[in-house]
Amino acid sequence: MKTKTKIWMIVGKIIGGIVRSTKAGGGTTLPGKIIRYFRPHFVREVVSGLNIGCVLVTGTNGKTTTAALIASTLKRANISFVHNRTGANLLSGIASALVREKIRELKRSKELGLFEVDEATLPEAIEETNPRVVLINNLFRDQLDRYGELDTLAKKLKMSLEKLGVGSTVILNADDPLVSSIGSNLRCRVIHFGINTDIYSLEGLEHAADSKHCSNCDTRLEYRYHIFGHLGDYRCPKCGAKRPPLDVSAESVELKSFEGSKCLIKTPAGAVEISIPLPGLYNVYNTLGAAAVCLTLGVDLRVITNSIEKFKAAFGRVESIEIEGRKLVMILAKNPAGFNEVIRTLSNLDAKLNVVFALNDNIADGRDVSWIWDVDFENLKGKLSNVICAGIRAWDMALRVKYADTGVDCLSIEPEIGTAMERLLCTAGKNETVYIVPTYTAMLEARRILSKKGYVTPYWEE
Amino acid sequence: MKLVICHLYPDLMNIYGDRGNVIALAKRCLWRGIDVEVKSLGLGDKVEPGAYDIFFMGGGQDKEQVMVSHDLYETKGETIRREIEQGACALVICGGYQLFGNFYRPAEGEELPGIGVFDAYTIAGSKRFIGNVFVETCLDGRKTTVVGFENHSGKTYLGKNERPLGEIIVGYGNNGEDKTEGAVHLGAIGTYLHGSLLPKNPELADFLIRKALKRTYPGRDIEALDDSVENLAHKHAIKRAKKTH
Repeated sequence: MKTKTKIWMIVGKIIGGIVRSTKAGGGTTLPGKIIRYFRPHFVREVVSGLNIGCVLVTGTNGKTTTAALIASTLKRANISFVHNRTGANLLSGIASALVREKIRELKRSKELGLFEVDEATLPEAIEETNPRVVLINNLFRDQLDRYGELDTLAKKLKMSLEKLGVGSTVILNADDPLVSSIGSNLRCRVIHFGINTDIYSLEGLEHAADSKHCSNCDTRLEYRYHIFGHLGDYRCPKCGAKRPPLDVSAESVELKSFEGSKCLIKTPAGAVEISIPLPGLYNVYNTLGAAAVCLTLGVDLRVITNSIEKFKAAFGRVESIEIEGRKLVMILAKNPAGFNEVIRTLSNLDAKLNVVFALNDNIADGRDVSWIWDVDFENLKGKLSNVICAGIRAWDMALRVKYADTGVDCLSIEPEIGTAMERLLCTAGKNETVYIVPTYTAMLEARRILSKKGYVTPYWEE
Repeated sequence: MKLVICHLYPDLMNIYGDRGNVIALAKRCLWRGIDVEVKSLGLGDKVEPGAYDIFFMGGGQDKEQVMVSHDLYETKGETIRREIEQGACALVICGGYQLFGNFYRPAEGEELPGIGVFDAYTIAGSKRFIGNVFVETCLDGRKTTVVGFENHSGKTYLGKNERPLGEIIVGYGNNGEDKTEGAVHLGAIGTYLHGSLLPKNPELADFLIRKALKRTYPGRDIEALDDSVENLAHKHAIKRAKKTH
């Protein structure tokens, strides 16, 4: 590493320390932002010293969880790595992670960079890191006000992947027609993963389904089955394009509500039964993607299985918090596809539900809240007991619940997320469970409130 | 009483939760004991004259908009235009609004034909207009406000005699230049405010329902609903619009 780069690293470390000591936050973006302003190719200079190279993880849903699954496996496999584990996934976040984690052990050099990357940032991240592995998990509508349209985004991703050489591997979710279309005619190696069973097939496309037409010829795709959103086993009746053969697949899946699922996973290294301790089919995809990445890095399949079975969810994604004899389950939902999966899991529970839906419209959530109308709240018919809508856009959320006509017993509005949680917990009896489903910044706020009261630890200390 | 809503290209033109508007129309009818039927028309389907009370069309991505424009022009446009002259209603948003004008001229590629319900045309702009919008308008002689969210790069210009839906207080509107937003022609409303427009603008929703009923059931008015949540959402959205600009 050049001396100048080293100096910037120390500067970044100091800025991070100041930010944390003033309790302004975790220092997970600001140091990187400042360094990159003065030294634009800081990331490139530092990661060129990693001897295994970089893994980039992207996709609309599941980035943080998938990267965390990979991280816990790498730990077990004794591969040292740098990871932007707090979900700060722009280049400033990557630079901050490099500063924070690498400087601790300036002498003992890290071998690998593991970075979750915002979809729109992927081209720039590829340019800066020349990655060894890129994983694209799914592409859904999420903050179109920030990214522009989905097709345009896919085209940009493809253009940047075309620059990767034969030494790189791109891992794609074959069940997502838009994602798998990115994989055609690349120079690098392409690996496909997907769910190969129709047991949880949906009747038709959900309203959040995005990519319903063939990316070659615009014909409407035919599905043998849908997993969720536009994910499933599809083919184009006109040009014959279809889901590519799966290299890593779940051959059977058994969902067990919030406990997780049991799957039979088939890989080139053999087949294995695995208990995934994370709920929902989206976490089956996250697991398959993480497994494919680790296999590509040469990690033993048994090590992968072990680490996944003992995994604890990344903060806020799904979190169960004990509060004076009651249980608060927090499940992040930041776009229609993710929210629909949360609803699917909630609607399969036996009891009637007490829920806070917390909707914010900060930049990180997306200013536009109209996406909640693509969420199928109607599927919660008869399941809702006490619902409190919270957040900056609490009133919009309340309207969505009202117009879903689910027969909710009590619907109220309380914009303050802390007060809303407190009120809901008050109505719950001993050993009862209540739920909070927040958008991204609402989740951060809920956690901040809970950590102040000592129920959870701040995210940057995890 | 019964209303039939025609949802045009629901699978192609539904990019920003536009179906929220159809949900709002349907529920606000059902809550009043008015039956509602929502029929979807896709590529190749013809419009049966007299069969629909309200037409609805949302926005789509560029690719979908091209697919839809030719179909709309060739198989449906003439009937829809005639139906609106004869008292049918319409709510068309973003891409739908653009294609209900005279034409859409993209930055590159061929010009897309519009069906000319509104005397308006749209040309692609280089800047994307994104953000909360708040307009003042007049519905059935009553001054009121409409609030929503816009996200478009097309710039729409109205003909001399075409009335805009409202005057921009916050946001960009039709073209970011003349402070107009949307268009109203008889019972047809075009606007750039997408997604959850009608739920938090109940007056606009009821304006459409009232106009649509008038054709088949003249003289029948609709009862008021408890709109306390709607009105709160409306009020807070205006507050947020002022704050985020």
